Amino acid sequence: MKVVEINDVHKTYHDTEVEVKAVSGVTLSFLKGDFVVIVGPSGSGKTTLLNLIGGLDQPTQGEILVAGHHLSELKPSQLIDFRMRHVGFVFQSYNLIPVLTAAENIGFIMNLQKWPREKRQARTDELLGSVGLSDRRNSRPSQLSGGQQQRIAVARALAARPEFILADEPTANLDSKSAESLLDIMEKLNREEEMTFIFSTHDVRVMKRARRVITLEDGKVVSDVKKE
Amino acid sequence: MIVEIAWKNVWRNKARSLIVIAAVTIGVFAGVFTMAAINSSVVQRIDAAVNEELSHIQVNNKGFRSSGDIQNTLRDFAWVKALLEITPGVKEVTGRILIKGIASTSAKSAGVEITGIDLERERQIFTLSEKLIPGTGTYFESETNFNTAFIGEKLAKELNIIRYIITDGALAKLKEEGIPSEVISRLETLRGQRFVSDKKFSDSFEDLLTTSEKKKYSMKIKEAAWSFREGSKIILTFLDVNNMQTGAAFRISGIYRTNNDMFEAMSVFVPVGELRSLTGMSEGTFHRVIARLDENDITDKVTPGIRKVLSGYEVLNWKEIQPDLAMMADMMQQIYGIFMTIILAALAFGIVNTMLMAVLERTRELGMLQAIGMNRRRIFIMIMLESIFLSIVGGIMGMAVGGAVIAATARNGINLVKYSEGMEAFGYTAHLFPTIDAGFFLMTTILIVITGILSSVYPARKALKLNPVEAIRGE
Repeated sequence: MKVVEINDVHKTYHDTEVEVKAVSGVTLSFLKGDFVVIVGPSGSGKTTLLNLIGGLDQPTQGEILVAGHHLSELKPSQLIDFRMRHVGFVFQSYNLIPVLTAAENIGFIMNLQKWPREKRQARTDELLGSVGLSDRRNSRPSQLSGGQQQRIAVARALAARPEFILADEPTANLDSKSAESLLDIMEKLNREEEMTFIFSTHDVRVMKRARRVITLEDGKVVSDVKKE
Repeated sequence: MIVEIAWKNVWRNKARSLIVIAAVTIGVFAGVFTMAAINSSVVQRIDAAVNEELSHIQVNNKGFRSSGDIQNTLRDFAWVKALLEITPGVKEVTGRILIKGIASTSAKSAGVEITGIDLERERQIFTLSEKLIPGTGTYFESETNFNTAFIGEKLAKELNIIRYIITDGALAKLKEEGIPSEVISRLETLRGQRFVSDKKFSDSFEDLLTTSEKKKYSMKIKEAAWSFREGSKIILTFLDVNNMQTGAAFRISGIYRTNNDMFEAMSVFVPVGELRSLTGMSEGTFHRVIARLDENDITDKVTPGIRKVLSGYEVLNWKEIQPDLAMMADMMQQIYGIFMTIILAALAFGIVNTMLMAVLERTRELGMLQAIGMNRRRIFIMIMLESIFLSIVGGIMGMAVGGAVIAATARNGINLVKYSEGMEAFGYTAHLFPTIDAGFFLMTTILIVITGILSSVYPARKALKLNPVEAIRGE
């Protein structure tokens, strides 16, 4: 089942007098349960493509269809709601809410979606267990290591069961051990919850784990390799 | 959840939040306390005017107030009195005789208004009997065959009834009050001398004390040297019912002290019977009926009903007799509004500055919140709540400190003795007992919340303009 469909998408930035074509004629689709990595040199358009898929930015041309929504037809306020309901984000620098505990951070989006307390609590407990941090539920982000924070960020992204998770350089700030551990968790969640993960990264460890590798250069897809 | 996050956000940078809260606390405290002090002077002035001078409602024949004609006595006094007595809200009623005259001693004379009063009923309406200066006699309680009069301190001074004498007793009193012995020894040179006026007495120690000593001790020295000879008399001269000049000697029953120099200088009280027999007025005649109400606040409600029934009479309430008092009461509201607006506007700038810093520091975080689906309305509310919390915490602390200081100072009052002469000339007391009502605190709370809301608008709008893409980009 297709989770995301991208048809001939272009994104051009007008930076002062220079026109920058960040994404140029990309056509792709992602299936439920995919574990995809988008790679490419700096400036190749990886992050822009991720922003377009996540509804953080609008394409200059082309169409992106996510869970039946044509993103270009959504108003900014609808896009926010779309992101809350359909997209999970994992950022390079964790971006947890510093004043909330680990459990509260995981429950944040469920809270925005007004999940009942018991259901929210059960899901939080389940995810804390999945990322191996049940004993740190009441810790604030500042009391957690980088790896632990990123695991909480993954749990937060997964919590409200979005259509897919966008992870922009999720291992960039982690040491090797933490990165491997995080990837183990993501793989497990991908398997157990059949959650679609779309990564943008330079990290070889992520590339090795991916079942599909898409390479971008100058905003264009130059290869799309599926591993067996 | 947003409320919880906003509250926690306030305490992210404790030092900064505490500084803003301290600023709000000090500002609100200053506002509350200053308003309480100003309010007290107006409230005390109104209370004094009502309790000592005017009471709530006065009824007399039309034209009496301007002419003061002795023959213009109140028509159907008994009916008017009875009607007032059965009016809901009226607590007590009395009649008064009012005559213009001259008070004199061998030394001086002064124009006065002589008021003939029913002693028992007056006590129920006015508190003047409580204003008796200790040591000057009684409120018409001593047995005597003489006519008696109760006069103000200011008049007594003008008629040279009060004198200043440095006696051994006065020097001992000064010592008790902690005046340095070297100052007392210099004052000893004035021992036994009599000074008939305040000014002459002040001049007498002009060269004996330094400027700072005079500033510090002159009030105490005057208090100690203040002397009144019991049994002093004054002559009251006035016209009788036949417009013939008449008069009599009146023994000073007692001297009262209020905060209104003008009233003290003008008002002489004598028992109504004595005045009637001297003027030839008939038994049961009065010029004015005075009604005391249950509370000041019902004056405007009760007056129209009385005025309607007594349409043939001049019916005036205290606000109409002394419109300056009513104006002061109304002005208090406006002064409060202006004062608090200035204070809260200043505080608002502080809050805006702090919140703006907080928003700019959290650019990434606010962008991330938008990215993961927190809508603009929620972000706006969150920033607004943070501003409101800062204002409310500071505001409540300011009001609590203000309330505590008001309660503490209300016990003994604030004595602005340095300004007493000027303030009392206008009827205002120099001894303030700060007071504020619950409505003031409620209004202040509402204003603080409004300040919090208004202060949040600019920072919150700034937060909404952030681009969530910035957050996902990473560092």
